[in-house]
Amino acid sequence: MHSDGFHAQDTPGDTALPPHPAGPSHTATGRLAPSWRQRIFAVWFRHMRVYTKNLIANGFPPFFEPLLFLVAMGVGFSGAFSGKPVEGLPFLDFLASGLILTSAMYTSAFECSYGTFIRLNYDKTYDSMLAAPLLPRDILIGEILWAGTKGAFFSSAVLSVISVFGMIGTAGSLLSPLVGFITGLVFASASLLVTSFVRYNIDHFNFYFTGFLSPLFFFCGILFPVSQLPAPLSSIAEALPLTHLVRLERAVCFGNWGPEHVWALVYALVFVLAVGWLAIRRLEKQLID
Amino acid sequence: MPRFPAYICRMNTDPVIKAYAITKRYGTLTAVDGLSFQVPPGTCLGLLGPNGAGKTTMMKIIYGKGRRSGGDLQVFGYDPGRHALDVKACTGVVPQEDSLDAELDVRSNMRLYARFYGINRQVADKRIEELLSFMELGDKNTARIRELSGGMKRRLVIARALLGNPRLLILDEPTTGLDPQVRHLIWDRLRKLRSSGTTILLTTHYMDEAYQLCDSLIIMDHGKAVLEGNPRELVEKGIERYALQVFDQETGPDLRTRATDRAIRFEEAGGMLYAYADRLGDLEDLAGILTARDYVLRQTNLEDLFLRATGKGLNDAQ
Repeated sequence: MHSDGFHAQDTPGDTALPPHPAGPSHTATGRLAPSWRQRIFAVWFRHMRVYTKNLIANGFPPFFEPLLFLVAMGVGFSGAFSGKPVEGLPFLDFLASGLILTSAMYTSAFECSYGTFIRLNYDKTYDSMLAAPLLPRDILIGEILWAGTKGAFFSSAVLSVISVFGMIGTAGSLLSPLVGFITGLVFASASLLVTSFVRYNIDHFNFYFTGFLSPLFFFCGILFPVSQLPAPLSSIAEALPLTHLVRLERAVCFGNWGPEHVWALVYALVFVLAVGWLAIRRLEKQLID
Repeated sequence: MPRFPAYICRMNTDPVIKAYAITKRYGTLTAVDGLSFQVPPGTCLGLLGPNGAGKTTMMKIIYGKGRRSGGDLQVFGYDPGRHALDVKACTGVVPQEDSLDAELDVRSNMRLYARFYGINRQVADKRIEELLSFMELGDKNTARIRELSGGMKRRLVIARALLGNPRLLILDEPTTGLDPQVRHLIWDRLRKLRSSGTTILLTTHYMDEAYQLCDSLIIMDHGKAVLEGNPRELVEKGIERYALQVFDQETGPDLRTRATDRAIRFEEAGGMLYAYADRLGDLEDLAGILTARDYVLRQTNLEDLFLRATGKGLNDAQ
């Protein structure tokens, strides 16, 4: 062990070292880390394995919740809504097509807020992952993709319950998991960004869930059309991601495609890229201290 | 020893780690303060020091989990700040906390981790079997994580760190909180790995651990190296041969009077008085005025060295 420097100049912070005799190339160690695809997939796979380990317990909510909701709405309110089509649809079809995305939104939001926070701060899952040849962004992208997958799974579950009730029942609705996937990506990115601001207190997620996601549920066109909102509120609703996703889901289910659906898709994808990028940038700084 | 396919990491006599004037600042706190060292291949370097000395921070910088504020660093010729993946592909890390997936069994934990190294399933399963038996967990394949004792979890995390067949193994306090049997088992395995050419970097609070494993040692305090060298040589050259550790400080004045004209050095730390001398007889003579339960007469160790270097006990809460 020597304490004399191996570097000729003492320039702290300057990482421009003279090249290693073997050269800073992949051949210096001859051992390659897995490709970025393998790395991201490995992270996704880890989440999938942990989730499916308790598939019955974890799979129970997406099937049972919409069942409860629809039974309550159908039994309790059926009289009240009969004969009042909403946007040209029977109310329960209108509602059911929205509920497909609610579950995708909530599951991905939970995954990337409480879930991420616990993996980051309590379980130290990321610490052990970062000991392996993974980069912080591999972990976070894997996380977003997994939340998207859960979104797809949850929307499929809701769709299957709805179909049992004889609602929707269109061929197009089979594309719902895809919209569920995109919804998952959107709320995973948003939730990771929120998580990047919650440093010490897990209770702060209450602001996000009650202050942001609940209003989305009530005012973004799931329960009633956005157009019924008074002027300033409807503009706000139009700016929020869920509004566009719900619109997209209804087009998938009922085939009433229009130019606004292209915009909805573009909105969602740009949202994922922009918000996801920002969230990853902020969380990277917490993962590498 | 698990036998793996010949590793493909380049082997030569260049130091595996070359660190020069590494500094890490968090705001106004300087956690690592100009630390320099090199670790030749197949040797073990220990970073020893109290909590807050900067050991863990230094390790994280080495495998790219932490960013340094200054200094130059090469691990396998790579700068971990820029090429963390290349460094980590050749490095196994045992973090301070055993973070295992509690939902899964032992083998699933290992399989999932093997994926992070891009190891295919067949190779992984063979390696997992070898590594589990190497760490004496061969019968725990299907055990749930929560069924494992602390010592088993720690051994599993070490086995997990070996999945990538690392040329460098980094361990952050590998035996903290474990019982003596497990500690000896871990030490034995680490020695085997080292003799098969694995370079080891570890942090520890324990003098005996450092003494057992390390070819060289850096004793850190407040982010700086206060002493460095081979542990045996440090103790032989750096300090008297014997120590009299007195629990009752009130006898101090009497002892000091009695010690006049003799080559005895005194230190006070943590409510205890230490007397050091090269001749055992001198200390035995001092101990003559003490009751048996009030003192320990023993050979000096690294702890005494630390005390001498820093003027305080190693276990001071920091």
